[in-house]
Amino acid sequence: MEITQIIINSLVRGAELSLLAIGLTMVFDILKFANFAHPDYAILGAFFAYMFNRVMGFNLLLAVLLAALLTGIVGILIDQAIFKRLRTIGAKPVTLMIASMGTAIALRNLMRLIWTSHTKTYAIPIRKPLEILGAKTTPLQIWIIIAGALSMVAFHLLLHRTTFGKALRAISDNSELASACAIDSEKMIRWMWFVASAYGVLGGCMIAMEHLLYPRLGFNIIIPVFCATILGGIGNPYGAMVGALILAFAENVVLALDFSLLVNLGGVFDISSLYVSTGYKPAISFVILIVVLLFKPTGILGKK
Amino acid sequence: MTIVNFIIYLMTMMGIYSLLAMSLNFQVGVTGLINFGQVAFFCIGSYTSALLVVKAGTPIFVGFLGAMALSGIMGYVMSIPTKSLKTDYWAIATLASGEIIRLIALNEDWLTAGPFGVMGIPQILKGIISRDAYPFFYLFFVVACIVVVYFLLNLLTNSPFGRNLKAIRDEEELCLSLGKNIQNLKLKSMVVAGMVAGLAGALFTFYIAYISPENFRPIETFLMWAMIIVGGRGNHAGAIVGAVVIQLFNVSTRFLAGYVPLSTESMGSLRMFIIGLLIIVFLLYRPEGLIKEKKKIYK
Repeated sequence: MEITQIIINSLVRGAELSLLAIGLTMVFDILKFANFAHPDYAILGAFFAYMFNRVMGFNLLLAVLLAALLTGIVGILIDQAIFKRLRTIGAKPVTLMIASMGTAIALRNLMRLIWTSHTKTYAIPIRKPLEILGAKTTPLQIWIIIAGALSMVAFHLLLHRTTFGKALRAISDNSELASACAIDSEKMIRWMWFVASAYGVLGGCMIAMEHLLYPRLGFNIIIPVFCATILGGIGNPYGAMVGALILAFAENVVLALDFSLLVNLGGVFDISSLYVSTGYKPAISFVILIVVLLFKPTGILGKK
Repeated sequence: MTIVNFIIYLMTMMGIYSLLAMSLNFQVGVTGLINFGQVAFFCIGSYTSALLVVKAGTPIFVGFLGAMALSGIMGYVMSIPTKSLKTDYWAIATLASGEIIRLIALNEDWLTAGPFGVMGIPQILKGIISRDAYPFFYLFFVVACIVVVYFLLNLLTNSPFGRNLKAIRDEEELCLSLGKNIQNLKLKSMVVAGMVAGLAGALFTFYIAYISPENFRPIETFLMWAMIIVGGRGNHAGAIVGAVVIQLFNVSTRFLAGYVPLSTESMGSLRMFIIGLLIIVFLLYRPEGLIKEKKKIYK
């Protein structure tokens, strides 16, 4: 594969994953539990976008933004119905994690009930692929990279220039001190769910646009998203972005590498070419995840 | 006759899932290890027993022993990272390892025949027992296994070893400060749980006589989780009750399908949706499950 092709594919994948990873890392940081339902929120949003786009005939961009808004509200509602109650009865973070697993199963199957497991596509006109420095790419992929980058900048501004962002960072640093400073942490948690879910939807829609949309998509991306999050260090949104990019490159490079040189040991054996089977593509992120967890559980960048 | 056969089938599957739930309960309920990759043990047990008998031509009891041994080894391997990982990190890692095992079964065609699965698995004492009596015999065999496992697990749980495990679950730091070798205890717990789940895998293999990676989807893990959450953690009777309740629920909705204007697929989705809700509702309103763990107070 061309090196430029690898770069473009990785940038696209990195943009998609990082949008999901920043939401996950925020929730993990503030509420101290791994939200296994996070990718399913994103796919729920992708289905909302599908409804707005295909059934109501809205413009794709508008459909995605409306879906992000709607899913943000759903995120708040689920928190109020499940996680907030568990927090108030003093459940351990582990219990919240198990509850999020239940939520993920319920959501995934609710989507399957409503939209069936048949694959769906958005109304995107099929265009001829562009050639950039020998790499084949579609206008959609270019848009994904641009939108991903813009969303990251917006997220940075949100975190540093708004009251919400400042309050959130204060809670993350020291929640007791934050509440002593009259920061309403429950209100900020509601906003956090909104932002986390809405950003997830952007990533979810991108993945669904680039491939196909089906209810189990959420489960298929759960390990890569967790991997990107942990790789970058829990509670560090910039780490999540870096982690997503590293993971995306790793996935594409491992599949493109010829391992025969390594196995032949400089002429001891004679194997013409040896590639990792594409059937193992999902396993790459699993293996990276386990290796990172074992050797550097704080992630590359660590907490801010 | 068909309805009798069906009930026997249902009870046999309840039995196999009871073993899986007991194994998960030993990790989650007794030791406090959150394993989201429980299906890995089941998968390894099933495939080991099937491949030993079909490909290597060993007797069936060797298949059983091999399944338990390899699942036990998997338990050992999975217990290693508990030394350095926090609970939630370890849970994510177990989810990943469960998927890796399934991907290996799916992709290593030379060994597992990939998506086509392993066919032509012989059944225990098939020639000796008559066709009509066979389902009863197998059910009896499964129940015998459950009785033995239940007895042994209870013995372990109530032994000093089991009390140490519960101490890890409740107060890990305290346990450490008392000079307990936590790592070693967790390791033993995982090996025991792995062997029980491996046994369940072998029982499943020789009952169904055909296995494929489709049998070991991650959703199986969450069914087992639903069982221990509904049934109650920390006691093995709860795991069995949970397995019976969840399997009954599964089957009853299958019967209802004839009366409800929903397709089979929608019915399946609705079923799993309700199981997801059940997990949440139990965690919110009855976190101890249907059967509460008896806590002994030492004076």
